[in-house]
Amino acid sequence: MPTMTLTQTLVMGLLQCVAVLILIFVMVPLLTFAERKVIGYIQVRLGATRTAGGLVGITGALNRGMWAMGKLPVLSILRGLPVFIADILKLILKEDIIPAKAERSVFTLAPIISVMAAFGVFSAIAFFPGVLFTFPAKFPIVGGLPFMGFISDVNVGVLYILGLSSVGVYGIVLGAWASNSKYPLLGGLRSAAQIISYEVPLTLSLLTPVVLAGSLNFKDLSIRLSTGADMHWLGAIPLFVGFLVYTTCGFAETNRTPFDLPEAETELVAGFHTEYSGMKFGFFYLAEYTNMIVVSCFASAFFLGGYYLLPFGLQRLIPASVPFLGQPSILFFFLKVFAILFLFLWVRATLPRYRYDQLMDVGWKWLIPLTLVNLFVAGLIRYAF
Amino acid sequence: MSFLRTLIPFDIIGGLTVTGRYFGKVFFSANRKKIRANLAHFTQEYPEVPVKLQPRFRGRLTLLKDEQGEIKCVCCLACEKICPTQVITIEKGKKEGRKMPFPVRYDFEMERCIFCEFCVESCGFDSIILNHQFELAGYNREDFSLGMDGLGHNMFEPSPVGRHSVAED
Repeated sequence: MPTMTLTQTLVMGLLQCVAVLILIFVMVPLLTFAERKVIGYIQVRLGATRTAGGLVGITGALNRGMWAMGKLPVLSILRGLPVFIADILKLILKEDIIPAKAERSVFTLAPIISVMAAFGVFSAIAFFPGVLFTFPAKFPIVGGLPFMGFISDVNVGVLYILGLSSVGVYGIVLGAWASNSKYPLLGGLRSAAQIISYEVPLTLSLLTPVVLAGSLNFKDLSIRLSTGADMHWLGAIPLFVGFLVYTTCGFAETNRTPFDLPEAETELVAGFHTEYSGMKFGFFYLAEYTNMIVVSCFASAFFLGGYYLLPFGLQRLIPASVPFLGQPSILFFFLKVFAILFLFLWVRATLPRYRYDQLMDVGWKWLIPLTLVNLFVAGLIRYAF
Repeated sequence: MSFLRTLIPFDIIGGLTVTGRYFGKVFFSANRKKIRANLAHFTQEYPEVPVKLQPRFRGRLTLLKDEQGEIKCVCCLACEKICPTQVITIEKGKKEGRKMPFPVRYDFEMERCIFCEFCVESCGFDSIILNHQFELAGYNREDFSLGMDGLGHNMFEPSPVGRHSVAED
């Protein structure tokens, strides 16, 4: 790698940040669309089909012709896709109301904290361990420089991500308190209790891969786990248990069903964001879906084999000389990310919400002992072999 | 045993299997024209695709005809008597070469009809049905007085605004 000047470093960093931001702002709306469709299909209906599926407008002309010929429209699976543009437009154009009795500064700060915590995590996530592509020499400043698959290569990346992602709860609690209203306050209290309870098994379950691989660097950890370098094959067992516990806690951390107590619609109107509207609500929304992507990236990298095809250290079955399947690829990473995101939607359409005491029961009586035992087993495997 | 049952989430896996099976069914049949006969999803794309109704759907009242094209009604007035909103008016008459009485007029005021199907149940000769037309909107009150003849007021013809509902099944 050629040594970079200060300007080059800054420009490259900026470019990578912009690339990640574009990724988030593409994935989150697509995820909301996917949520409509997947939940629709699971509930034996079609989901959103009418935004580009009607008989008016530009797409309508195409659709009319197709229907007239007795055929389904060409892009029939994508009918309703523009609904995400409508979602964004609605959030941006809606009036931004701050209640008269609300604490104005904290009320405004809360969604910003939430969204910053969610976005900041991406600076330590590596989407690909090496160079994605190299800029051609004809570009003015960045010519000949490699475009890496990660923003920064932090040695204690896991620690940094865990620390930053738990800041997100401040956004929820502060927003709930600043609303000066009963329902948000209750939602915020629940959220604080829930996230503190589930932060413990989440971190403990993430310690399993850390112990097995012996690294805190996101990229190194992922590569060592998937290729199984200095890890016994028995390590797959604690990794699998850790994966299950991690996904469960991930659901709780992102306030998704069956752990969506902070915004329980049937009891608390909308929970902590009852008083929010317009783009402030949009920020909470964005933060929730970004957190889903973060959790998926984590599960993908640490448990499901990351940049390699096979999960749980089974990649050693395929020698590195195999052309595509034996090599690391960004496609494999995103394949697993999408699989976990689908699991989020699948579980949301299947399981009802836990009661508050059941939630605490699962967290403290089952998940924490389970992760401790799991961590002990992982330690034994690491020590013995 | 109960410890293991709590530890390993069998019930969650079972629930996910059920929903996953439905997802697969709908996903692989939702956008195919060919397997439209047995749809996996219950919602229908109504204005573009004709709707499939349940067989016992109660639509507009119609007189039935036998194999010779003769109206089966014999003017026993059972339907007129049982109708809770009195929307049926029958005028008895005679016809050449027919032993039974013949309805000269069979008026049906759809604006008051509650689609209870008592008339069909009371009919001893199976000569009326409620067919599968459900697009019954009209532009004025006269559109709702149906009879055996006339343009747009004929109960044997499909409803003037109904382009997608099925007349007879």
